[in-house]
Amino acid sequence: MENWEKLSKMPYKEIKELQNRKLRAFMANQIYLYSPYYSDLLKELKIDPFKIKGIDDLRHLPFTYKWDIAPTDEEPQKAKDFVIRPDEEVTEKYGHLAKMSMTGGKAMVEEKVYDFKPVHIHFTTGRTALPTPFVYSKRDLENIKEAGYRLLDVFEVTSDDIVINAFPFAPHLAFWQTFFAGEKMDVANFHSGGGKIVGTRNLMDAFEYLRPTVAVFIPGYCYYFLREAVKQGRDFSSIRKIFFGGERVPPGLKDKIKELFTQLGAEDVMVLATYGMTEAKVAWPECPSHEEYHGYHLYPDLEVFETVDPETGDPVGEGEEGEIVYSSLDWRGTAVLRYRTGDIAKGGLLLEPCPNCGRTVPRISSNIQRKSELKEFSMTKVKGTLVNLNNFFPLMMGHPDIEEWQVEMRKRNDDPFDMDEIYLYIATRGDVDREKLVADLKQKVLRDTEVSLTDIIFKSVPELVSQLGMETELKEKRILDSRPS
Amino acid sequence: MEAWSKISRMPAPAIKKLQEELLTKMLKEEMAVRHPYYRNLFKENNINLDEIKGIEDLGRLPFTEKEELLPREDDRRYPKKYVLEVPKEGEQKKKKKGFALFGKKDTGPETSDYKFHTLYFTAGRTAKPAPIEYTHYDLKNLKEAGIRAFDILDLDRDETMINAFTYAPNAFFWQMFYSTIELGSTTLQTGGGKVLGLEKILKAMDNMEAPVFVCAPGYTVFALQTLEHFGFSAENLERVILGIDYTPMEAVEKVSRLMEAIGAKDNKVQRIYFISEAKSGWAECKPDFGYHTNPDHILVEIVDPATGAVLGEGEKGEVVITHLDTRGTVLLRFKTGDIATGGLVTEPCPNCKRTVPRIMGDIERKAYYFELQGSDGTVQFNGNLLRKQMLARDDVLLWYAEIKKDGDLDFLNLVVKGLSGTDEQALLNSLEQELKEEFSVPVTLESATLDAIANKIGLEKYITEQVFFDNRAQ
Repeated sequence: MENWEKLSKMPYKEIKELQNRKLRAFMANQIYLYSPYYSDLLKELKIDPFKIKGIDDLRHLPFTYKWDIAPTDEEPQKAKDFVIRPDEEVTEKYGHLAKMSMTGGKAMVEEKVYDFKPVHIHFTTGRTALPTPFVYSKRDLENIKEAGYRLLDVFEVTSDDIVINAFPFAPHLAFWQTFFAGEKMDVANFHSGGGKIVGTRNLMDAFEYLRPTVAVFIPGYCYYFLREAVKQGRDFSSIRKIFFGGERVPPGLKDKIKELFTQLGAEDVMVLATYGMTEAKVAWPECPSHEEYHGYHLYPDLEVFETVDPETGDPVGEGEEGEIVYSSLDWRGTAVLRYRTGDIAKGGLLLEPCPNCGRTVPRISSNIQRKSELKEFSMTKVKGTLVNLNNFFPLMMGHPDIEEWQVEMRKRNDDPFDMDEIYLYIATRGDVDREKLVADLKQKVLRDTEVSLTDIIFKSVPELVSQLGMETELKEKRILDSRPS
Repeated sequence: MEAWSKISRMPAPAIKKLQEELLTKMLKEEMAVRHPYYRNLFKENNINLDEIKGIEDLGRLPFTEKEELLPREDDRRYPKKYVLEVPKEGEQKKKKKGFALFGKKDTGPETSDYKFHTLYFTAGRTAKPAPIEYTHYDLKNLKEAGIRAFDILDLDRDETMINAFTYAPNAFFWQMFYSTIELGSTTLQTGGGKVLGLEKILKAMDNMEAPVFVCAPGYTVFALQTLEHFGFSAENLERVILGIDYTPMEAVEKVSRLMEAIGAKDNKVQRIYFISEAKSGWAECKPDFGYHTNPDHILVEIVDPATGAVLGEGEKGEVVITHLDTRGTVLLRFKTGDIATGGLVTEPCPNCKRTVPRIMGDIERKAYYFELQGSDGTVQFNGNLLRKQMLARDDVLLWYAEIKKDGDLDFLNLVVKGLSGTDEQALLNSLEQELKEEFSVPVTLESATLDAIANKIGLEKYITEQVFFDNRAQ
C-alpha cells in the first residue's frame, strides 16, 4: 500500500507505472503460485504469467464471472479456489513455500503461511446464487482499514468527528468498511447495526445522546428514519455530513434528505455517496460537492479498473460508457482478475485529475447503474420486454410526491405460463391529486423502463413501510418478484 | 491492566492489595474529581473517602442500580452523569525533557485516555438498554480481557470459528470479535440467527468445516437439535463456547450430549459470563470451575440481594461490580441483578491453577424470582430452576412459561413444543408430574407449534430468547 497523500497527487503516468509493477509482482508471486483457480487457468490457456508486463496486458486474460466463483450445491467450496493460499493442499501442486525459506525452516514456513490465513469473511448478497464468501487475511484488514481511511479523508472526516454507523449489521462490506474506516481514522463512533438491530427509536435516542457530526446509512432506511424523527420532534442539529452506501442517491432524494435534516435542526448537511462491491473488498468515495458529480475516487495501488463494452467485452475509451471490470492488486485472501461486475459506468473511467479536489487517482463516473442494487432482477423480462428495474430507483426516490414505493412483479392468475404483470405500490407525501400523479407516473415509468404498469396501488405510509420490511429486513424490499417459477 | 502472566499467578493477598490500591486511586483520583454523579453523591452525603481504606470498607458506599443508568424522557443525555469528564488543561501531563526524564513517574492524567471513542449498550433484557461509553483506554482493556478469556479457554490461531453471538452494539459481541482478530483465527462473524438465520449459520459451519461454535445456550441447543432437519452434519464440530445468556451446567451437559450424538465424542463445552456494565466477559477454563475474573479491571463483591450485606467466600448472592481501571462510563458498586449460586472464591483454580478470583456455580437472573399468590399465601417461584429443568430434558425443543391470574390466585402456564418424533401428550403428562413435584405452584400445560413459540420467545428477534412472561397485570 502506498502513502495516500503521495498517491493522490501522483501524475497518472506514474500511477500506471506503479500499477504495472504491482501487477507483475502480483501475478508472478501470488496468483500464479497460490491461487488454485487462476493458476490452473493460466496453465490451461498456456499464458506465461511473466509475460503480463502491465495493466494493458490484462486484456489477454479471460473475464471472471459471478458464476465462476459462486458456490453451488454441487460445488459448495468453489470460492476457496479464488483464495490465495500457500497451504499444503496448494503448495503440493504449485511449488513449495519452504524453498523460499533457506534458513528459517519449518517455523518460518508456518509463519509465512499464517500471513495468508483468512481471519475475516464477507459474503455477497445474491438472491439466486448462493452467497459467495470473500475472505481477508490480517494483511488484507490493513488494506480495508487504509481504504476506509482514504474514504473518510476524501469526505473530509477527521478524528474530531463522531460517526454513527447505521448500516445493517451483516457479514457484508458496507457495515465492516465503515467499522474499519473508523479504526484507522481513529474517529469516535457508534456501530448501531441499523434499525433491525437496535430499533428505530433507540437509534434516534443514540443520535440525541451522542450528537454525531456524521451519519452513515442505506438511503431508503435513512429517508424513513428521518421522517419518523421529524414526527417525534427530534434534535439532530449536530449532523454535518451523511453518507450513503448500497445504492445510488438520485438528486431528488438528496433534496428530500436535506429538507428533513433542516426540519431536524441541521443546516447545510452534505449528502455523500460511496460505491463498493464485495468482490473488491473495499468501497470508494464520491468526491464531495453540493452541486456537481465528480466521480468516485479509486485506489490504484489496490486494484485495476477497466471499462468494457458489455456485449463484446472490448475495452472502451476514457470517459466512455462501459461495464466496470475489476482486478485485484496486492491482496491476499480472495482475489479476482477481470471480474465482470455487471455495473455500468455511464460516464466511464476518468483519468485526468479531479476538477473538484485535484486528486490524481483514477475516477469512475458517479452515474453507475448498479447491477447489485437489484441483483439478478436488474434486467428482467416482463411482458416479453427486457425491463431495466434500476430506473425505478432514481424515478421513485427522487419524485417529490412519493413518500414510499415498491414494485411487484406477478403472473396473471398466479399461473407461471400466463402474462407478466407489474404493480407499483405508492404512499404519497401529503395530499396530492391522485389522478394527476397516476398519469405522471405511468408516463414516466414507460419512458424510463419501457414497460407499462398493470396498476398503481395507493397505500398508507405505515402499510408500505411494513410491506417493505423497513424495520425487519436487512435492506428494504423495493422490488418483489412474486412470479411463480 | 497488569500483565496477565503476572496477575493470573499472583497470590490472593497480593491481588487484594493491588485491588485496594486501584480502588483508592479510582475513588480519589477519578470518581471524586471527574465523575459527575459520584462526585456529587460523595459531597451530598459527606462521604469521607479517606475512611475507605480497603475492600472491607466498600460497604459504606451506596450501590448503583440498573435503572439509574437509563436515559430519561426529558433528558436523553442523563447517563452522561456516569461518564468521567475529560481532564482540564491544567491537569494534563506535561512532557518531560532532559534529565527530568529520569525523575519521578508522571501522575497527571492523559487526556486521550478519557476521550470518547465508542458506544455500546447493555443487553436490555430486564430493563431498557443503557449506554456504556468506551474510551481508547477501555477498548484496550476490552481487547486484553478478550485475550485473557481466550487464554483461559485455551484457543489458538489455528481455530476456525463461527461466532453466532447475536450482533448488538454490546461488549459481548465486540470482545469476541476483537479476540478472534487478535488471535488470528479464521472466524465468521455471523451476527447470530437474528442476522443470518439458522440455516445459513449451519451451512457456513459445514462449508468452513468449523470445529468451534460460539453461541448463546438456548440457540445452540435449538441449532443442534434441528441439524438433521436442515440437512447439515456439523461433522467437524469439536468445541462449543456458550455465552451471552446464563448458562447453567444443565445446558453444558445437554450441548455435550447433542454433540456426542452427532459424532463429536471428545467434545468440549465451555462458558463465558458477560456483564455489559463490567465492560468485559470472563471465561471458565473448565465447566463448573468458575468464571475467572480480571481483578485488575473489576472488583467483584457478592451481596445479599435483599439486605445488601456483603457475603463470605463461596456464599450464594448477587454479583456487584466496581470499576477499578476504566474510563468513559465508570460504576461504583453496581448491582448486576445476577445471582452467583456458588459465590466468589479466591483460592487458586484446582484445574488451571490461575489465582484470580472466580465466580462459582451457575448464574441466575434475579428477575426470574417470582412471588406467586397461592391458596396458602405467597409462594416463591424460582424460574431459573424451571429453565434448568427444561434445558436438562432431551425431549423439549422450545418452550416458554406464563404467569397468569385465576381470580385471586396465580398459576404457571407452560407452553411446549417437543422434539420431532416426541409424543406431545406424553411429554405434557411427564412434565406436569415433574413440575408439580418440584414447584409448589399450580401448573397448566399446553403444546404449541414451533413457529408460535419461536415468535413468542423471539428466537431470532431478541439477543437471546425470552422464556418468562408475567401476564398478571393483564
